[in-house]
Amino acid sequence: MLYDLGRSDIRVRWLVTLLLATLGTSYLFGAWMVGLYAGFGTTKVAETYGAAGEAMMMQMPPETTMVTERPISMAEMGEEQHHVDMNLLVQDTHVHMPMYAVIAAVLSVIVLGLAVSRGVGLAIIALLFAAPWLDFAGMWLTKLVSPRFAVVTLAGGWAMALGYTVVAALALWEMWSPRSDGK
Amino acid sequence: MKTILLGAAAAVLLHITPTVILVKREDAVAKLLPGAERFAARELHLSSADSRRLHDAVGWEPADGVVTFYLGKRQDQVTGVLLFMRVDSQHGPLELAVGYDPGGGGGGGSIRGVEVTKATVETKPWVLEALKAGLTNAYRGLAVGQAPTGAEKVKPHVAAMPGYMAELIDKGVMHADAAFRLLYRP
Repeated sequence: MLYDLGRSDIRVRWLVTLLLATLGTSYLFGAWMVGLYAGFGTTKVAETYGAAGEAMMMQMPPETTMVTERPISMAEMGEEQHHVDMNLLVQDTHVHMPMYAVIAAVLSVIVLGLAVSRGVGLAIIALLFAAPWLDFAGMWLTKLVSPRFAVVTLAGGWAMALGYTVVAALALWEMWSPRSDGK
Repeated sequence: MKTILLGAAAAVLLHITPTVILVKREDAVAKLLPGAERFAARELHLSSADSRRLHDAVGWEPADGVVTFYLGKRQDQVTGVLLFMRVDSQHGPLELAVGYDPGGGGGGGSIRGVEVTKATVETKPWVLEALKAGLTNAYRGLAVGQAPTGAEKVKPHVAAMPGYMAELIDKGVMHADAAFRLLYRP
């Protein structure tokens, strides 16, 4: 390891603890938001990021404009199915990827101070960076190729949760367990 | 470390703030389709040719190729038409509800009213300032095909960012107007 988090100055351990607590809280709210707007199943994710409505069935524009009309209630007009179209996905990718990279980098710096083997460290760092890539690759593939790729986005989300949980658990154990003798 | 800190600062600055609802969709519908007893959603899955017509007219086409007209009906007569339009900016999306008196469509009709239904935490005060300056009054009664000039009217009375919001809202009205003019058939 490049430094020893478990034996580091108490100020460093305090900083890392608060950082993990803050990130953990934001992840909990992130999961809540995903539940509200996109869902945790492949069908809901495909509806959110795939082509709009019935157009999911036809990725190519029709030869002539197709018109469908259906009765709708006032309540249904108020209910908006959250759908991310191409423009919004471009914007989402642009604003979220840098933040995901910074979070992965910060968690990776914590990994560098953990008492784990070089191979395990490399694997955890790879997981931390793979998660956002899977997340957004899934969204784009769902949009452009097939709704079946929604599973990649779900894998990205779970990978993000797993990466955070592993880093937080190891770091908190090394920093605050009774055997830790940091000053 | 300096790069990481700069990256973090840039990410925070670039982050789009959460959406806020300024007017509930139901309230916008009640205001813009008054007296309607029934409603219908008419979805148009656009051909490449129609997408191109829209793009040629106003430099915009729906990203997923679908335009939805919401119709208000009374005794099987269409009494009003409404579109929800999203306008994107680097500060996050706005959503407008643009209501029309149908007047035959395809070139006829006029704007009954415009409501800004959604903004973001960051843009909300700017949008509210533009609205307070009377922005949406400028659209009421505007004939279909007539360019919206709301921003021009409020800009002398508001700060720079509310003026920019007014420009975005003008753009959304222009997009809705093109969709109604080119695609709506009674």
